[in-house]
Amino acid sequence: MSDAALRDPRIPAPVIDRPEDYLHVEQTLSSWFFTTDHKRIGILYLVSITGFFVIGAIAAGIVRLALVVPDGSILSNEVYNRMFTLHGVIMVWFFLVPSIPNTLGNFLLPLMIGAKDLAFPKINLLSWYVFVTASLFTLFVLLWGGVDTGWTFYTPLSTQYANGYVIAAVLGIIVVGYSSILTGLNFIVTVHKMRAPGMTWFRMPLFVWSLYATSLILVLATPVLTIALVLVFVDRAFGLGVFNPEQGGDPVLFQHLFWFYSHPVVYVMVLPGMGVMSELVTAYAYKKIFGYKFIAFSSLAIAVIGFFVWGHHMFYNGITQYSALTFSLMSFIVAVPSAIKVYNWAATIHKGQIRLDTPMLYAMGWIGLFVIGGVTGLMLASTALDGHVHDTYFVVAHFHYIMVGATVVAFLGGIHYWWPKMTGRLYSEPWGRVSALLMFIGFNMTFFPQYILGYMGMPRRYAVYPESYQVLNVLSSAGATILAAAYLFPMIYLVWSLWYGEKAGDNPWHAKGLEWTTTSPPPKHNFRKMPIVDFDPYDYSNEPPEE
Amino acid sequence: MSSTVGIELEEQYHDVEQQREAAKLGMWTFLLTELLLFSGLFVTALVLRVMHPDSVTAVALHLKFWIGATNTAILIVSSFIMSVAIELSRLGRQRPMAWCMLGTAAFGVLFLMLKGYEYYRDYVEHMTPFLSFRRYELVGDPASRLFTNLYFITTGLHAVHLIIGITLMLVMAWLASREGFLQKHQNRIEITGLYWHFIDLIWMIVFPTLYLLNR
Amino acid sequence: MIQRYLPHYPSQLWPWAASSMAVEIDRIFVMWCIVLMFLVVPVFVFMTYCAVKYRAGRPADRSQRESRNMTIEMSWMIAPFLISLVFFFWAGDIYLRQQNPPPNAMVITALGRQWMWKFQHPDGPSEINDLHVPAGRPVRIDIRSQDVVHSLYIPALRQQEEAVPGRTTSMWFKADTPGAYRLFCSEFCGADHALMAGTLYVLSPADYQKWLKTAGGGQSIASTGKRLFEAYGCSGCHGPSGTVRAPDLAGLYGRVVPLQDGSTVVANDAYIHDSIMQPKRQIAAGYKPIMPSFAGAMSESDVTALVAYIKSLRHGREQSP
Repeated sequence: MSDAALRDPRIPAPVIDRPEDYLHVEQTLSSWFFTTDHKRIGILYLVSITGFFVIGAIAAGIVRLALVVPDGSILSNEVYNRMFTLHGVIMVWFFLVPSIPNTLGNFLLPLMIGAKDLAFPKINLLSWYVFVTASLFTLFVLLWGGVDTGWTFYTPLSTQYANGYVIAAVLGIIVVGYSSILTGLNFIVTVHKMRAPGMTWFRMPLFVWSLYATSLILVLATPVLTIALVLVFVDRAFGLGVFNPEQGGDPVLFQHLFWFYSHPVVYVMVLPGMGVMSELVTAYAYKKIFGYKFIAFSSLAIAVIGFFVWGHHMFYNGITQYSALTFSLMSFIVAVPSAIKVYNWAATIHKGQIRLDTPMLYAMGWIGLFVIGGVTGLMLASTALDGHVHDTYFVVAHFHYIMVGATVVAFLGGIHYWWPKMTGRLYSEPWGRVSALLMFIGFNMTFFPQYILGYMGMPRRYAVYPESYQVLNVLSSAGATILAAAYLFPMIYLVWSLWYGEKAGDNPWHAKGLEWTTTSPPPKHNFRKMPIVDFDPYDYSNEPPEE
Repeated sequence: MSSTVGIELEEQYHDVEQQREAAKLGMWTFLLTELLLFSGLFVTALVLRVMHPDSVTAVALHLKFWIGATNTAILIVSSFIMSVAIELSRLGRQRPMAWCMLGTAAFGVLFLMLKGYEYYRDYVEHMTPFLSFRRYELVGDPASRLFTNLYFITTGLHAVHLIIGITLMLVMAWLASREGFLQKHQNRIEITGLYWHFIDLIWMIVFPTLYLLNR
Repeated sequence: MIQRYLPHYPSQLWPWAASSMAVEIDRIFVMWCIVLMFLVVPVFVFMTYCAVKYRAGRPADRSQRESRNMTIEMSWMIAPFLISLVFFFWAGDIYLRQQNPPPNAMVITALGRQWMWKFQHPDGPSEINDLHVPAGRPVRIDIRSQDVVHSLYIPALRQQEEAVPGRTTSMWFKADTPGAYRLFCSEFCGADHALMAGTLYVLSPADYQKWLKTAGGGQSIASTGKRLFEAYGCSGCHGPSGTVRAPDLAGLYGRVVPLQDGSTVVANDAYIHDSIMQPKRQIAAGYKPIMPSFAGAMSESDVTALVAYIKSLRHGREQSP
């Protein structure tokens, strides 16, 4: 690869009177819907998952509204049950799982490793079409007839006793799983085979490491969900009785198969966020990451150990004491790599040159909320303590601290950080900071009371509840309105910036990373000349960032 | 006669070697997901065997062992033929390669025919618990019914994959016999071969797990 | 007597504890909360400190910036893990004690079904949704499900156990503090999952014996019997507005009944049972033998329920179940 001054002959020469960045090089509808450009596919995903986030959030809003009164007078029990099922299915599969990997991951992975695109661009587009078709189908099913089993589809409720369109819903989810598998496959091959010359594994940004670990989970865990739901389908459609004890089946078998996927999938939701955190913390402390190799290996460790903890969702359904204690111990062990990362980020910030811009506010909020969510997870892993709080609002609070307090916060932090790179525009910084703070307040007000409700004994998935729980429920619902506003603001000011925001330069934050060496937005093939990497990641100097 | 063999470079790759390796890694990763898919069923069958050994053994005696064994041999032969096809594709011998691919597909079809006959015999023997109009008349207890159902699900899912494989093989054989195919897309033959070998491998696990272990 | 244990559900931030094991669990939880504080607070303090002291452009000592340090990494990996392991062992110890009931525990069976709990005391009464237990005695509940997965959850005991169809699970406890405590289903089981709730009444041993003998004997069976009394049309003759002259059943149980043939009989369970199923065997003096037989039309368990109901009719006034 000498002659770096020569343009790569396979990249078409720019048309003089039209900007050559990926957004403007062609602007027809078909150039978008038949694109194979990973950046455009990332944008397609961004629009899709935002739409699903809004729908899932509305469902949550309806649930919180119903819970303002204890007697279920706002919604009937059946409608309430369908609402929380809708919320869970949409948020888990159509928002959280694809959120960071398919938007930021698709956009940034080739840029960060110095490649022109992913390994299989057409499969990338296929994964989007599979996602959109299956998710719209499932959404339609959930709204039309409704499913009231909860997103966990426990048997034999889902296979024999539930009314509603269970079969159609599980078929939709089975198909959407293939979108995850194709994405994971694409990322794995890309990281192995498409790195620029000189980009060794230990020169890759940590976001790429986290996407790699995420992809391993997607590829290994999703097929087990597929088979679990296929069995639900044949059980319900053909009466095969796989989960019916009267026919020799076992309801707990479903739980094993389901959680074998669903526990690792929560690491799919959190690992990319951790990757984003590494990028934000280094850029806004303007300092090299502390403990690069430890963080990189922690991502892999979380992915691997995360496959061995699924039984902690099942401590109290008749599994043996030995199983329970083993799963508990493994769950304690899986917390170690997460803790390592948090300490390393804190050490990175120390003696840095810290800028408190919006992405950094999100990052700092992430750390606090993740520690709370993570330690409450250890509380849940403590067998006897779980005997009290299992299936109560304590669990609901725990996973929302991670899924919303960590994943969504990291997603928003990343969107803000890379917004200029993706769109060529700067967003309004004051609005960004206000929204970040409002979100932190609204989030805690919504979900902290739920820890108390859970310890007080309020079970989850309750359409009606004893009156003494009402005060905390009302507080939580009030917090939800603040949180909703905090989500609305970015949707408004980010879109506004597309037309009226200040135009961004190549590297508005003066950050390190290959993505910042190309234009904002990047050209269609990412780089005018393909980079050769002979530097370490995050090699910030001790000087403050230029203003 | 032979002609030059190669692959057409796609624009995201630096060179042909990178493209070849990426395609192979991609297919292996996909096959890993397929293995995980079937693993759920294998684990279920094994757990059932451990928990209800007598019921499972009793009904497993009704599985048509010799049909299963013949089918295993058929798939091994088909994979062998596919390996020959791949070697021929590397040598650029287009027509013999296409015939071998058709041969592979033919053995696949033979497998399906025998499988269909086996299902027919199961039906005749009243071994179909999922058909409400035909009473299951073998070993009466619930665990044996579940095992029978698992047998149908597992072999059925495998058959679906085999049908996809045969279709892929036929389409690929047709495309590959066109002028200039091997100059531009030789590695597609290799990738198709990987998938075929994998279908064979899955059957190598299905046969012992269902037919052999429980006798 | 039961009135002493009126359910009271105050608005408070800490649930009642009905057993010493519940208190142990509270202790672990409080300890965890303290550990959590020690993790969260320093993180926030540290971040704020850094954000201020090391603000971009602000002069500060930024010399000797490391990016790796094996000693620090190993220590903050191992030390917190060892501390967390304390909780693994502590909780595991309580868990193992919870999983191994003492051999002398009183066994109650629980059946969960959409959407109610049915508790059966040994050789004794059965209850719907509510459960009476004696304080100070180990109680083991063997739990089954008739349909989907449910979960029997009693926050005051800090315990729950799922009801899985096709298997029997069990949970044991020793409640120490008499009182009335909430009982829930905590595994989502369909439309009325939230309504599958009741009350655990922990009674002093003396009160428990009283309960067993009196209302406990057929508390809910009696109410079933009352329903059947209407459903089978018994009240048509034996009720206050009966058109046909039939013996008044209030206070019947235990009374001496003169029969038509001049003999007497004490109205016990067998007598009432036979009066329903073979009414012509022992006809009460002064009444025509026109009562129809319900043999073949009424199941034995229905008869049992009716007997229980009639037993509960005392001295002209119904005892509410």
